[in-house]
Amino acid sequence: MANIKTNDNQTTTNRGLNFSWLWSEYSVVIAFIIIFIVAAFMNDRFLYLQNQLNILMQVSTIGIIALGMTVVMLSGGIDLSVGSVLAMAGVFSVLALNASESIFVGVLTALAVGAMAGLLNGILVSKGRIASFIATLGMMAGARSIALYVSDGGSKSAEVDGFMNISNSSLGMVDTPIIVFLGLTILIYILMQKTRFGRYVYALGSNEKAALLSAIRVDRIKIGVYTLCGFLVGIAALIETSRLNSISSSSSGNLYELDAIAAVIIGGTRMTGGKGKVIGTLFGVLLLGVLNNMMNLLNISPHLQGLVKGLIIIVAVLFQKRD
Amino acid sequence: MEQETILEMNGIKKSFNQVEVLHGVDFALHKGEIHALLGENGAGKSTLMNILGGVHQPDDGQIILNGQTIKMENPRISQKQGISFIHQELNVVTDLTIYENMFLGSELRNKWGILDVKEMCRQTEEILSKLGVHISPKTYVRDLETSYKQMIEIARSLLRDSKVIIMDEPTTSLTDNEVDRLFELMRSLKSSGVSIIYISHKLKEIQAVCDRYTVLRDGHFVGNGWMKDTDLGQITQLMVGKSVSTEAFHHENKAGDPVLTVKQLTSESLFQNINFEVAKGEVVGFTGLAGDGRTELFESIFGFRKKYDGVIEVNGRPVKINHPKKAVQAGIGLVPKNRKENAIIKDLNVIENMSLSSMGHFEKNGLIHAKHEQKTFYDYKNQLNIKVHDPKVTIDSLSGGNQQKVVIAKWLEVNADIIIFDNPTQGIDVGAKNEIYQHIMNLADQGKAIIVLSSEAPEVLRICDRINIMFQGEITGRFNREDVTEELIMEYATGAKKEAENVG
Repeated sequence: MANIKTNDNQTTTNRGLNFSWLWSEYSVVIAFIIIFIVAAFMNDRFLYLQNQLNILMQVSTIGIIALGMTVVMLSGGIDLSVGSVLAMAGVFSVLALNASESIFVGVLTALAVGAMAGLLNGILVSKGRIASFIATLGMMAGARSIALYVSDGGSKSAEVDGFMNISNSSLGMVDTPIIVFLGLTILIYILMQKTRFGRYVYALGSNEKAALLSAIRVDRIKIGVYTLCGFLVGIAALIETSRLNSISSSSSGNLYELDAIAAVIIGGTRMTGGKGKVIGTLFGVLLLGVLNNMMNLLNISPHLQGLVKGLIIIVAVLFQKRD
Repeated sequence: MEQETILEMNGIKKSFNQVEVLHGVDFALHKGEIHALLGENGAGKSTLMNILGGVHQPDDGQIILNGQTIKMENPRISQKQGISFIHQELNVVTDLTIYENMFLGSELRNKWGILDVKEMCRQTEEILSKLGVHISPKTYVRDLETSYKQMIEIARSLLRDSKVIIMDEPTTSLTDNEVDRLFELMRSLKSSGVSIIYISHKLKEIQAVCDRYTVLRDGHFVGNGWMKDTDLGQITQLMVGKSVSTEAFHHENKAGDPVLTVKQLTSESLFQNINFEVAKGEVVGFTGLAGDGRTELFESIFGFRKKYDGVIEVNGRPVKINHPKKAVQAGIGLVPKNRKENAIIKDLNVIENMSLSSMGHFEKNGLIHAKHEQKTFYDYKNQLNIKVHDPKVTIDSLSGGNQQKVVIAKWLEVNADIIIFDNPTQGIDVGAKNEIYQHIMNLADQGKAIIVLSSEAPEVLRICDRINIMFQGEITGRFNREDVTEELIMEYATGAKKEAENVG
């Protein structure tokens, strides 16, 4: 009799454990599926393949930035400068492109400007020992200002044929930015899970002093983290510029940092670092994309969309298992 | 004389995550006694006390206080019943002053609702002077030494007029003088009718101050009695379930060539003019009181601190160490003190903690080879007897002793020639302590040079071949193990004696 009772108990506890484990590890995936199903019921156009690809296309820029943000936040920092650096990298890229009439030079300039801004952030944070919030806040103001000054506050248009093809080409049905975004997601996933660099980032985000005492070059890893984020912003800047063949120094990239941070947080990464997953960020990005798409399909006033988005962010994080 | 029982806990059961950690524990406390609660790490002492303090709720069993059954639903209720809990971790707010900390949550106010600073300061001063501490109540806690912070914790419970005080390892950061003062105070509290539950790993202290004891093992009650009717051997036996030797450890290997030579190492206000040598296959101890600079000295040698002058030679070659990475390249490893802050990465799993300092060993084409990592871990698991069911769990779910073994495994994998152990058995129970000592001996036998830093003289006497005693940043005495006693160490550690070069 007693035996049967214990067995019963055990099966129920196991089931309970499994669900709580599933929830704590993959709450963002579950939330994504729920919103996805709701969206499918609300509007039958939602499930069209063209609409789905559209969502992916729309999130690709923010998605790439959010990948970089994930790495920065796992290391225990934050990068507020991504939106401004995107504008600055875009402006310089177009200037270089037009001056050299070489797409290659334009691409290289966007990546280099992004990476240099990231490098500077990294040096300020690690060698200068400035809180990442402050250092990147400075970069945010500075980069936007440089972009505005160089382009007199207006837009810069590319004058070289073929530059638009970067974003407006496709492989079969899938647009290039989507391929770039998903490809980078896989690369960053491998970087964070399978390489020394990724392991060190988790270690330093979780306990910086112990990481240093474990003979990790904490300063170099930090510089690497911010440089990587800046480099990814450079790629995002290319996609953004090439899509419309121009970049606006005043409005491009505005508030991207907040969308990227929101995606990372919804994806379950801890604000103070050390815990989180690239896959979580992917679903966080997709969740925000589906939400935007759904609201557009339902003709919700654009003025109200911010409120809905804000609520979803807060609810998603509220339900996450925190420690 | 039969004493009145003030508190009874009967048949307390508690499970965490479906694992029962307390299997119906009984505990009884007399009025006006100091009662030692003993057991190894993980025996359930803290859980039992957290139930009494209202932090956890028992699954079964009852708490009877002064003859009445009471449900401790939250810490507030427990406090109202006159139970105060001095936790092992310091619960002080460092950016507030002493008196603000003392009255935190129960500030005194005058009739207009304005804080009565004067009265709070007066009461704080009164209690602190009872404890023999003479500092201004308006001093900021961040400017205080750790031992004073501990004193504030204790003072706070006195302020509340508690009937039962639970002290969880209160002496870990106190100097001997302060410990004596604390004991005096505990005795005077006892005579005024306060009961104290005292949790500690230091059996000598328990013998000095406690009246009765209760021993827990693996969540079971295994025995209680009067302190005067027993001896430490019996208690230890109850705690671990078998007898544990407290004899000295020796290793067979004789000391070889010097591997680490330190000449005239000086860092302003931390340590001055440090000279010593450590040879292959030798265990060298450094001991002293809090503030003797030994941790800072070895953090400098390990490259964690950069501002120092002097020469460090490894295998006869001078090395410039300005980062832990350089130290590792020179063959030096450090098992730091305060494991939680300095040694473990709590979000990484056990295997990842083991491999952290030697990632290069596990890489193939730039990617981490997880199978290889796992296999290496299982080798160390067997070698060091690390108890863990699933090494993919985060390291903070292991007990202190097993965490420490993982940290040791990390440095073994690095294959350092010189390994520095700073307080290697901090917060580790008796059984695991001896295991760690044995591993240290094995390392010496393998030809490693071992340095052990410890504030506990008995510890260095048990395991070190040579002992250096430090006082205020200087080495004041050097001895071979055979030539020194605990008392002699104390004299050098307090600066009463000083003869720096009496061993060649």
